[in-house]
Amino acid sequence: MAFDKMELRDIEVWDGNFAAAQALRQCQIDVVSAYPITPSTPIVEGYSKFLADNYIEGEFVMVESEHAAMSGCIGASAAGGRVATATSSQGFALMVETLYQASGMRLPIILNVVNRALAAPLNVNGDHGDMYLGRDSGWIQLDAYSPQEAYDLNFIAFRVAEDHEIRLPAMVHQDGFMTSHTAQGVHTMDDDTAYSFVGDFKPMNDMLDFEHPVTHGVQTEEDWHYEHKARQHNDLMTKVPTKIEEAFAAFEKLTGRKYNQVEKYDMDDADVAVVCMGTSVETAREVASEMREKGIKAGVVGLRVVRPFPFMEIAAALKDIKAIAALDRSSPNGAAGMLFNEIAGALFNTDSKALLTGYVYGLGGRDLTKKHLTDLYTELQANVDAGKVLTPLQQFIGVRGPKLAFL
Amino acid sequence: MLEIRWHSRAGQGAVTGAKGLADVISTTGKDVQAFAFYGSAKRGAAMTAYNRVDDKPIMNHEKYMEPDYVFVIDPAIVYTADVTVNAKENTIFIITTHMSKEELIASQPKLEGKMVYIVDCIKIAQETIGRAIPNTPMLGAFMKISGMYDIEFFKESMKRILAKLPQKIVDANMLAIQRAYDEVK
Amino acid sequence: MANTGWDEFEIGAMLRTFEGEAGDTVGTLQEDRNYTQNSSFSASVADWRIEKPVFNKDFCIDCQFCWVYCPDISIISRDKKMIGIDMDHCKGCGICVEVCPTNPKSLLMFPEQADEESEIANWPAKETKEK
Repeated sequence: MAFDKMELRDIEVWDGNFAAAQALRQCQIDVVSAYPITPSTPIVEGYSKFLADNYIEGEFVMVESEHAAMSGCIGASAAGGRVATATSSQGFALMVETLYQASGMRLPIILNVVNRALAAPLNVNGDHGDMYLGRDSGWIQLDAYSPQEAYDLNFIAFRVAEDHEIRLPAMVHQDGFMTSHTAQGVHTMDDDTAYSFVGDFKPMNDMLDFEHPVTHGVQTEEDWHYEHKARQHNDLMTKVPTKIEEAFAAFEKLTGRKYNQVEKYDMDDADVAVVCMGTSVETAREVASEMREKGIKAGVVGLRVVRPFPFMEIAAALKDIKAIAALDRSSPNGAAGMLFNEIAGALFNTDSKALLTGYVYGLGGRDLTKKHLTDLYTELQANVDAGKVLTPLQQFIGVRGPKLAFL
Repeated sequence: MLEIRWHSRAGQGAVTGAKGLADVISTTGKDVQAFAFYGSAKRGAAMTAYNRVDDKPIMNHEKYMEPDYVFVIDPAIVYTADVTVNAKENTIFIITTHMSKEELIASQPKLEGKMVYIVDCIKIAQETIGRAIPNTPMLGAFMKISGMYDIEFFKESMKRILAKLPQKIVDANMLAIQRAYDEVK
Repeated sequence: MANTGWDEFEIGAMLRTFEGEAGDTVGTLQEDRNYTQNSSFSASVADWRIEKPVFNKDFCIDCQFCWVYCPDISIISRDKKMIGIDMDHCKGCGICVEVCPTNPKSLLMFPEQADEESEIANWPAKETKEK
């Protein structure tokens, strides 16, 4: 290899952004086309520094907007390169049109989304508004709860996305600032081990294969469009979950770190459970353990794979739970929250008699404290004791002013 | 669980300090966390940074903290921000000031009855590093007050963390750490 | 192809130009290339025409204007000599006639059903400019 390798300690103290940048270096990304935006900036900044310091053979393309950034990624990926970028919030929103292009063209681009609130009002802090905006875009969406996971899930994302049976782009999400700018111990892989997990990029239908000229980005009208979209949905529903499980198993074999589509914590005998994403999952785990000391059988379900939504796995994880709280860190703006709806859908035709309530929390980076979660578990237990939901079905946590609740 | 809150101005190196401290502690087998509140703070704006240290994996991501230690690395912030917020009974304050402890507490009555240590990180930084970057001296003072690690081990660890800086700056930082270690009271 | 189901095509709405390898495409005449059914070269637009261009080589000066301007690459030129029209891909737009600079024109539009030989036999004479 013409580039230099980097000596890493077994445990490095990295924030989520640097962990993701290191993963991009170790995967040897050919092209990063980017328009940096807070709080994801250090990921692409890190890549370009590694590139300048000869740790990567690749190309950093600085463009004029996020729309152009993803367009550059699409071109580079269609040409046959291993491609990644990063964005947040408004940048993600500007990328949306091209997100659908990337997934429809079946290009295995990896997008690190450092979750941040959507304006207005302008806010640089973490919530899941941008993550939710992308959930119908046909991408695979993986969610990290810590810098370690932001590192690990990048490798898993490349392995799944680039598989020739899959060929779909994937997002790796992490919470803005709460993960991206929080330094924690990260167990590293050495460069060769890390690269061996993703392997050499195997191009497919690439434009640089001059012996097999191809046309990408074609037009289809009523006669073809539906079949292509149906095929994409089919592959997400039937092929991707299996490949993700295989990648999780291979990753565990390599590192000892085990990931699941649905991350269960103390769920085996739990009466009450919180379902959430991002850093909140870890905080909720800590609170769940404390609740058990108080006699409440509390569990936590973290959604690791947001899309394709693990419908059956969620139903299985929650099947014996008596009261469930679905925590959405994004304003549903006129509906029940996404997690509330997905969980309701997953449980509806089952024997579950669970009391399901939804909570909106943490918008614009508002702190989710252990006190909030303690109160929440207490409320769930009260529902269990009463045998019915005692509160409205949708409540806002941690917002100032009169209690906000609906439904 | 050991929890630390830093009070600083953006640009004084609190984030670097918090991450550096986390890095050193991490090498001794403990789990660490270092983060900060940014907002859209510009250089000079008041900000806070945080450390958590534990023997078991740290899962708590709440921003709320009742700190065991409060580091104040800018001499004016003790007046413009409430450095005692969410403090516990036994929270230890290490505050940058040119004043005596008595003068400091008299000028900021909220510190009355608190466990306060003082050290002039700004002066130490100016006289050693040549710039008012008071983060590494604060860590020297912390080593003295907490007795967490032997100062020589700590300095060796910090040399690794600062390795990308010119040797002259690294040496100056070592001097600053040692002086704060000796001068905190 | 119109009856192909969602599970029967290559992913990504990607289309191939040639069957097998491209090989020496550049050195091969269009009609000898192994285009796939997806290539527009494999599709005929002949039935779009109401009028067709007829080429009279007696007046052609091989200026290549028609070749340059034809929007469907349907003027067949070999070694910079105009030799005819690709009637599978000509849709009868008449641009070649419009740009032909000779007098009389070397290309004229006739109804699709017109007989080429008799139209050439009755080709208009050179126009003289009135003074």
